[in-house]
Amino acid sequence: MLQRKASTSLLGAALGVSFLLWLVLGSVPRTSAIPAFARKYQTSCSTCHNNYPELNDFGEAFKKNGFKFPKDDDTFVKEAPVMLGAKAQREAFPKAVYPGEMPGSLPLGFRYSGVATYNSKQPSSLGFLPRTDLFTPNAFTIIAAGSFGPTLSFWIDNDISAGGANAAAGLGDGYLKVNDIGHYLGLPKDTLNIRVGQFELDLPFTQARSINLTPYDIYNQAGIAGAQGTTNNPFLLNIPQRGIEIGGYPNDGNFAWSVAVVNGSNNNPATRNSKDVYVRVSQRFNLERDASVRNDVQAAGPTGPRDHTSIRFGGFYYYGRNALNLDPTSPDFIPNVGTIHEPFYRAGADFRFKYRSFELYGLGMYGHDTNLLAMPATGAPLGFSPGPPVTFSGGLAEAEYWFYPWFIGLMRYDVVNSPTDFLNGASRHDTRNRLSPGVQLLVRSNLKLAFEYQRGWQQPIPNAQQFFRLNGFATGIDYSF
Amino acid sequence: METFKKAPILATILFIAFLPASLSWAGEIKGKVTAQGMRSPENIAVYVDTIPGKSFDPPSQHVVVDQKKMTFIPHVVVVLKGTTVDFLNSDPVGHNVYWPSISGNKKLAHNLGTWPKGEKKSFQFNDLGTASLLCNVHPEMSGYVVVVATPYFAVTNKEGEFEIKDVPSGHYTLKTWSEEGKPVTQAVDVSSGTARVELTVKK
Repeated sequence: MLQRKASTSLLGAALGVSFLLWLVLGSVPRTSAIPAFARKYQTSCSTCHNNYPELNDFGEAFKKNGFKFPKDDDTFVKEAPVMLGAKAQREAFPKAVYPGEMPGSLPLGFRYSGVATYNSKQPSSLGFLPRTDLFTPNAFTIIAAGSFGPTLSFWIDNDISAGGANAAAGLGDGYLKVNDIGHYLGLPKDTLNIRVGQFELDLPFTQARSINLTPYDIYNQAGIAGAQGTTNNPFLLNIPQRGIEIGGYPNDGNFAWSVAVVNGSNNNPATRNSKDVYVRVSQRFNLERDASVRNDVQAAGPTGPRDHTSIRFGGFYYYGRNALNLDPTSPDFIPNVGTIHEPFYRAGADFRFKYRSFELYGLGMYGHDTNLLAMPATGAPLGFSPGPPVTFSGGLAEAEYWFYPWFIGLMRYDVVNSPTDFLNGASRHDTRNRLSPGVQLLVRSNLKLAFEYQRGWQQPIPNAQQFFRLNGFATGIDYSF
Repeated sequence: METFKKAPILATILFIAFLPASLSWAGEIKGKVTAQGMRSPENIAVYVDTIPGKSFDPPSQHVVVDQKKMTFIPHVVVVLKGTTVDFLNSDPVGHNVYWPSISGNKKLAHNLGTWPKGEKKSFQFNDLGTASLLCNVHPEMSGYVVVVATPYFAVTNKEGEFEIKDVPSGHYTLKTWSEEGKPVTQAVDVSSGTARVELTVKK
């Protein structure tokens, strides 16, 4: 009883401190609110975002158009670009540098982030975990994005300083994109674009620009055999990859496709010779009753423009060949067995349904990593033979509801089924579930307060036939300027 | 010869006969508004307040408020009660026009919906007061419709100058409305010719 009272009063204190501190500081994991665009067009964040960083239909069209308004962009620009050559220089090319432009002022946005957490009590045998942690992760992010003319766009985001779990220090996305290059091949508008650099894969639901305080569990699932074999694949779906991507959004963006060739070593230099491939396709079906508005960027609602009623289905596939035993100078190098190749893949399907103030979306995914077992099982290996693959499956489902334009309710369910993780002692069962209800408040268009509760899965307590559930409550704010 | 002798007399008689009429000829109110603590004296509505016992028919011609480059044009428009305003969309994006109240009366809130480029929606303003025009998808957009009781009104230019023409002679109450400043009231006498007024609007 005393313990429960103490917990309650501590929770109340944590909430009170959070409420006071949100006035000053706080944020959520990396997002893509771009104040530079707000300045360029002298428009509010809500022109493109319905719950930033989540994009509404107009924001999606803006992004797909190379960070330009979908129609008559020039008429809306309030901050004239710097011309890097008169337009007539195009005729002089190749005897002159092809003319371009750059943003009239530095296209920078800044964000400070911090998430206050309250955790359930962790058994002492697992080590000490503070019950409350004020503003960790903690990051200051710089975001720069814009265009260098009609067909070139760029994006850079970098966490200048970061700390704590789920913080992403260093460069996130840093890429250059050539938009509508298919135009020169006689293809319909936006059929073919090329993106190069470091970028988050064309995932069904972005992690880098997620509205949630915590990451999607299925994206964070790696192929690790642990004691069950040699598989030690660091690849994570939600980490930016370095590579080249071609893709397009023909048919007014209703169909989308992309193919990327990447290092597969997350946001790090290549660690092997082989490259990985990622493919995604999706089709959106516009369900608006009024056929005349289906081709518009936004639907015409009785109280103003709104997102189209629609449903989107998609699928994705990632293939790579992880390689082990590459470096003969490494102390772990095994002589006389050669490079160990362990192909792997991730495959999934997703959907997104939108209707007025309600959205429901989710995905399911299956992961498969080849797992090789050393022969003999003990002593110095002389070779490897195929063992049980490391597999996992799972997904997520999330619902959003706008009670008011500034008050959004969330409910998310994450699930991962990993027999290998179970055997390695990560969970009580093969399947790990997490339920995360939340509320988000847009205090201003560029200032958001978020609350999220996580009911975690049961984890075994070492050296005891008992399990505990690591639950937590997180609060933070996100502001940018 | 006799005709010539009679001409001055006739002219005098005619002048005396028409003198009362000339005294009721329209004058004008000209002046300047000084803004204190405000960014600019521009877009301040200056109008003759309700004249007891007098009512005016609204014009048949509609007033136009356009939406262009995500801006309401003009930013401030003054209309006589009963005037119809046409809200035009000249942008290649969907726009919306609504007002949450007229001078704080939320029962008079109205939402015109959404319409595409080149189309317009009309509304007849039958209630005195000020409607704050908003767009729910572009919250930075702002405009005002000031509905007044007389057809004698103007909106100041960048220098704060205004001119109200064709005001019948008489004693009136002049009022101001501005986005940032407090309303000002001043008495004004209009005879034939120009009545000059200096007003100060404070934040």
